[in-house]
Amino acid sequence: MDIAMLTNYAIAFFSLFSLNVFILLYLKHRKDYDRPVKPTSWTPLLSIVLPAYNEEQYIVKSIRSLLDADYPKDKLDIIIVDDGSTDNTYRVAKAFEGQNLRVFTKGNGGKGAALNFGLAKAKGELLATMDADSYIAKNTIREMIPHFEEEGVMAVTPAVKIRPSGSWLKEFQRVEYLMIIFSRKVLSFIDSVPVTVGPFSMFRKSVFDEIGGFDEHNLVEDQEIALRIQAHNYKIRSSITADVYTEPPDNMKDLLKQRVRWQRGGIRNYWRYRGMIKPEYGDFGMFFVPLNFAAITAFFLVLGLLLYSLFTIPYYYQYVWFETLGMQINLITFIGAFVVLTSTIFLWIVIKSFKNEHIKLRYLLSFLLFYWYLMVGFNVLFLLKELKREKYSW
Amino acid sequence: MSISIYAGAFVISLAIFILGIYIGTLIDSSNIELLSEEVSSISGRMASLQVLLLGGDNESFCPVYTSELSEMDREIEDIGYKLSFLEDERNVYDAELKKKYFLLEAQSYLLSQKAQELCGDDSTLLINFYSNKDCDRCREQGTEVLKARDTLASEGISLKLFSFDGELGSPVAEAFEDQYGISTYPSIVINEQTYSGFRSSEELEALVRDAQ
Repeated sequence: MDIAMLTNYAIAFFSLFSLNVFILLYLKHRKDYDRPVKPTSWTPLLSIVLPAYNEEQYIVKSIRSLLDADYPKDKLDIIIVDDGSTDNTYRVAKAFEGQNLRVFTKGNGGKGAALNFGLAKAKGELLATMDADSYIAKNTIREMIPHFEEEGVMAVTPAVKIRPSGSWLKEFQRVEYLMIIFSRKVLSFIDSVPVTVGPFSMFRKSVFDEIGGFDEHNLVEDQEIALRIQAHNYKIRSSITADVYTEPPDNMKDLLKQRVRWQRGGIRNYWRYRGMIKPEYGDFGMFFVPLNFAAITAFFLVLGLLLYSLFTIPYYYQYVWFETLGMQINLITFIGAFVVLTSTIFLWIVIKSFKNEHIKLRYLLSFLLFYWYLMVGFNVLFLLKELKREKYSW
Repeated sequence: MSISIYAGAFVISLAIFILGIYIGTLIDSSNIELLSEEVSSISGRMASLQVLLLGGDNESFCPVYTSELSEMDREIEDIGYKLSFLEDERNVYDAELKKKYFLLEAQSYLLSQKAQELCGDDSTLLINFYSNKDCDRCREQGTEVLKARDTLASEGISLKLFSFDGELGSPVAEAFEDQYGISTYPSIVINEQTYSGFRSSEELEALVRDAQ
């Protein structure tokens, strides 16, 4: 048996194992999965920092959603930070300024710096960060706050969703976001939530005093802060009933740009926190962090092996490729088919678990058929940029 | 740590893996069985053709003879590719089946020679002697032979290919090796003329054109 075959077997086993871990975790905790959160009478002061750079198009909707939130108005401390916009963002936001909403402007310094600027002005016991192109549902805050009553919880992430639009690319991302919400919830059962999402996340403000503010030079500062919280052995919880809606990229160019940024920043962050691969970090250290390294390695190995086999394809294949199709079924194709089948069932469970999200079958099928190709695109572009040592920026 | 989850996932994955290996083995043996059946069926047809040949040397049987022979040649070639596929890609090797296959190749070669004599078939016959052991360029030689045949076909020159694994211990292959004085692998025989050592497709094409 050659090295290529052994590598294939190892990757097949690894994919199967990871998928099974997720399925078993879900089955073990399925009763907790959508158990409603116990309401609380605790209504702490909540500061919400909303950095904005050239967001005049969306910011009104974001601010309105905060002002309409089902939460005592005197317990809200909204801080809008205009990060040196060149459009009317500052003027538009300023129109909403009032008792519980303050608007600041500063020179452009990036999202991390704007968040830290807001953090310094925040008065609340809890602090939420929000993207200007996102908006929350009426009950979002009330759904998230009770999670902080659990000891050691320093952050809570909501269910970030995309509104149905009929646009193929957006519907595609909508399915993906539901998958992410599901996975994150499952990961929260083993204290392994790896990101406090940018569209809206809530923190105990004291955590920043202990671990510091946002990394101003990070491409995915919302992931870095989560990893830092994990590195301090604090908990991050995930709420699937607190809806937050965000505006996804509506064209392939922007989507690629966003994903390559996530990938480049993500890998750097995991590398930075590689020291967490220790038993004292529990499942996060011993399963989730290594899983990320293994997944990216496996991806490029599979791609490499595929290209290698394309270049070394025997000449006689052109005569018999079709006739040997039946013979080409082997352990790898069997496991591949099994993984695809299980993933399809998994996707079905995910979609069914969101009772209010109705996704047309054609979008689900195209997600199943084409998502992997897009992943290849993202990853190849990521690799090219890394190899070219292209500037690491937003 | 959720040890029980990881242990469970490991056991389930292992079970699926073992099931995959078992199914793979079943598929491999069913493939070998199917190929054996194909070989037996062609053997039967080959025997009928030989009877036809013994029946007389009347030229009226030539069209049936040559068309049936070329049909069988195509099928034998396909079986050869499938055997190579199983050997190369799946590490599945059945020496007995391969010996039967070489017997078919030998019969087809001899019948093709008869077709040249009796029916004036102008195809050039090429035998590729190779070995699966200690032969660095044998695989490459196989590809060059196929390329040469494709190029010559586009020029209207028909090249019939036969191949023998000289180190398999097949009596027919050994008999052919003795006949053509094969001492090294790869070696090529074009219309009964032996050429030892690796030949590129261009060299083979030139040799075939000369042999025409």
